[in-house]
Amino acid sequence: MSDAIQIERLHYRAGKNFEIKDLDLHVPSGSIYGFLGPNGSGKTTTIRLILGLLRPLSGRIMVLGDPMPEQHARILGRVGYVPEQPHLDATLTVRELIDFQAAFYPQWDRAQAEELVQRFELDGERLFGRLSKGQKAKLMILLALAQRGDLLVLDEPTDGLDPVVRRDILSALLTYVSERGATIFISSHLVHELERVCDWVAVMDDGRLITEAPMEKLKHGTKRLVVMGAPAEIVNPPFRILTRESANGGGAGENWVVGDWEPGMTSYFEGVGASVREVIDLDLEDGFVELLRSFRERRGGARR
Amino acid sequence: MTAMFRAVLFSQWKWSRLVVVLGTVAAFAIPLLSLQGAARVDRGALQAQELLRAVQSWGTLYPLLATALGLLMAIAAWAADHRGRHIHALTLPLERWRYVLLRFGAGFVLLAAPIAAVLIGSSLAVLTATLPTGLQAYPIALAARFAFAAFVAYALFFAVSAGTARTAGIILATIAALVLVQVVASIANIDLDLLSAAQTVLLLGPGPLAIFTGRWMLVDV
Repeated sequence: MSDAIQIERLHYRAGKNFEIKDLDLHVPSGSIYGFLGPNGSGKTTTIRLILGLLRPLSGRIMVLGDPMPEQHARILGRVGYVPEQPHLDATLTVRELIDFQAAFYPQWDRAQAEELVQRFELDGERLFGRLSKGQKAKLMILLALAQRGDLLVLDEPTDGLDPVVRRDILSALLTYVSERGATIFISSHLVHELERVCDWVAVMDDGRLITEAPMEKLKHGTKRLVVMGAPAEIVNPPFRILTRESANGGGAGENWVVGDWEPGMTSYFEGVGASVREVIDLDLEDGFVELLRSFRERRGGARR
Repeated sequence: MTAMFRAVLFSQWKWSRLVVVLGTVAAFAIPLLSLQGAARVDRGALQAQELLRAVQSWGTLYPLLATALGLLMAIAAWAADHRGRHIHALTLPLERWRYVLLRFGAGFVLLAAPIAAVLIGSSLAVLTATLPTGLQAYPIALAARFAFAAFVAYALFFAVSAGTARTAGIILATIAALVLVQVVASIANIDLDLLSAAQTVLLLGPGPLAIFTGRWMLVDV
């Protein structure tokens, strides 16, 4: 499977306090790729780099097989984009904005645009500036979908929206993917939302990629273990130790959070004179939190 | 490209239609008003001088109108993109220079209305007036000069308006520094007239800005 987006060793700096360093990202074609991270982690900056709105200091970005930003006009003809904040002209009506957008995309799907106007219950004569937050989000999704692009890049598209609007938007996206086989790159900090729709997920914090994996692997591979009698030094474990701390109440028990876990790995502990009393499933949100905590502890340790 | 231009032209018309309509009305009215006293048949040499004075004083309004139209149309051309932090424009599938050209072209097309109004208003004013012997009417030359002035003003302000707040800041800071140096020189009794020198260089010397100076005469000898 080829990659819709391929980023290699990307380096970008914004001022003195923020940089994206050594970023490698591979978004498989046809996937719904969730891009998770807390606010300020660099998600929007990464998206702007992908779209050619910012220029990297070094590294390589390939989007739909073409280099960005060198081929930005060609690439953007195949990419639908929904930014975090409404970016459209507030003085144009819904209908005027649709017509404006249609003029720039030769493959514009008028029938789909009309169908989505009806489905999203948008008033064609209403000014964009007079639309509610949910209606603005719906219109931006409509414009991105009717372009019939091969890649949709969505930056927190449902942030701050009510559940009904969120469901409408996600449903439209899923329909589009199933009909077109397009790739969706969706950034969010709403973990549960991505958990429902994505088949790949990446986690970013402080301008660094913490992990990138298929959703199933991340969900089922992140576990909390209650370990008894573990030695202080653990050598070459077959899983990733994210956090390790004494269990409440002291004693010899410890709570571990591990990644890349697979059934049968408990035997590793027997080999080092320890035992696993319990293996607890974590949902994506817990796994996300533990990944962040582990990453920040390691970064903090490295800085000290 | 035609569809893109139509879309950009429509959006720009929507943002600047009040400016265009008011500018067109003013451009039509100024030549008519400048010749309002010339409709009488009993004019002699003295009346001709009076008429020339009236035409000359009304003529100062043409460069002012051209500058105002250029400024307002240039601001309107970029206002919505500035508000949206240029995200929409920069994610459209075309080279950026093409987008700038579309915006520039659309603004200039809209300026055609007040330019045409000057031509029609001037021609109408000349047709309905009886000019004293020895005076000639120049409606086409006046309209062409107005068109060039509007184009220069629009191009200049379009370039400034297209820039960032930093660009505007640099331009304002340069002007402020010029004024400050002039004030300090005046206080220190130094014989330095920077503002006049700047005016001479920018407006009176050969160059596109010289179009704004001189006599804007619909009727002349």
